[in-house]
Amino acid sequence: MKTKNIIIYALVSVISLGIIGINSCEVSKKVQAKTGTQLWGENCGRCHNAPGPGEFNNTNWDIVGTHMRIRTNITETEEKKIVAYLISTNN
Amino acid sequence: MKLLLIICLLLGCSSILSAQIGDSTKANDDSIPIKDVSEVLNGKNNFAVFGNAEMIYFADKHNNNFGEVNFKPIFLWKLSEKLFVEAEPEFETGGGSLDIGLEYANMCYIVNPYLTLHGGRFLPKFGAYRGRMGEAFINRFSTAPVGFGDGGIGAMNEVGVGAQGGFGAGSAKINYELYLSNGVQILTDEENAGQFEYEAYAANSSAKTVGGRIGLLPFSNSSLEIAYSFQNKTKTGEKGSAYENIGVNMQAFDLNYWGHIKSIKTDVRIIGEWKHQKVDNAVYYKADSTTFTFNNSPTAYYVAGSIRPAYLKNVILRNIELAARYSEFKRPEHWGGDTNQFAFSLDYWLKWNTVIKFTYQTEKNIDNAFYGQIVFGF
Repeated sequence: MKTKNIIIYALVSVISLGIIGINSCEVSKKVQAKTGTQLWGENCGRCHNAPGPGEFNNTNWDIVGTHMRIRTNITETEEKKIVAYLISTNN
Repeated sequence: MKLLLIICLLLGCSSILSAQIGDSTKANDDSIPIKDVSEVLNGKNNFAVFGNAEMIYFADKHNNNFGEVNFKPIFLWKLSEKLFVEAEPEFETGGGSLDIGLEYANMCYIVNPYLTLHGGRFLPKFGAYRGRMGEAFINRFSTAPVGFGDGGIGAMNEVGVGAQGGFGAGSAKINYELYLSNGVQILTDEENAGQFEYEAYAANSSAKTVGGRIGLLPFSNSSLEIAYSFQNKTKTGEKGSAYENIGVNMQAFDLNYWGHIKSIKTDVRIIGEWKHQKVDNAVYYKADSTTFTFNNSPTAYYVAGSIRPAYLKNVILRNIELAARYSEFKRPEHWGGDTNQFAFSLDYWLKWNTVIKFTYQTEKNIDNAFYGQIVFGF
């Protein structure tokens, strides 16, 4: 029980300190400027081959984006930009 | 109570983050306006089915056969921008008969860009192999590393609740998950003594486990991810039994690197994971009622690398991927003792998620074997 408490409190402390530290640093302009095309190329292939434009319809791209965000913890901005890019290739 | 404390903390901190971290969506200078996404979708409650089917061919000097035909549909419902359900039933035949299971049924509430709460049966982010790198259309091999498949160690499926998310920090990214769940259950029969049921649907006591993972992607191109995971449970035995107070502490480190070598038009992938679990000492009974005990502190790890000349003009060559993997499983003598395994694979990709694998594998005290696998993603 003691070990468990130590782990919990250590984790909460690390996360708290980390978030406080991160508050002072914004996402860099270089990362903010990344396009959906770039993010698609950089993130999807980290685990699997990236599905290409035209693979799914607009609705399914939106669903896949949310699924990947939950499974891999990509950021919301990455999800939105990647989905926007893939949908744009359908239209 | 403890998870509530953690969730409250995360909620509070994520609110601060929302206010202080620049909204990079607004800063997007991509030529594709994000607001257009919702305008081109039909309806708000949407549903899709994806997944994969797979089959293995096995051959060694004694046997050869087709088997392990599995069908794994993934059902996804996006109920709204904040509500999402993902579920995967599994139809497996590797045990000699049809085995139907529920891999996960996970209900998610997206609180804000940095926090998603979820509950149900889920794949805990303990390491990266289980639920991610080990999926058939992602794993470059027809087999699992020793210690990572059946008879292995580490968290697999959990029933409970959790909080997760990811956010940018400078040019890096951080992701996290924390969960409270029923946890693993110790097995006490002679053959499996000291191992665990990692995929239980129901709890065997009111004890809960706390687990989590924190990952860092230090480079702006997301090419490298390193992460630490833990899971801890103080009472893994059935309530009222002599094993009720047997605790287990699990830890894992995982690494995933993916890059390109432009000069040879090739993608390179290096992945690895180390995991360890420490189980409290216990006395187990043999069938003849004599007792035995052992130091239960197994460790498993693997490292794997693959190359694929994905940017060659030749269609056949660019769909070929070569991969090699080494794994070790240091386990109690009672479970078979230490073992190690080499695997080499030649894969041919018919599509981004459809592949034919040819894997040759050597493992300590086991005949060398060839495994062919067909995986069709859909």
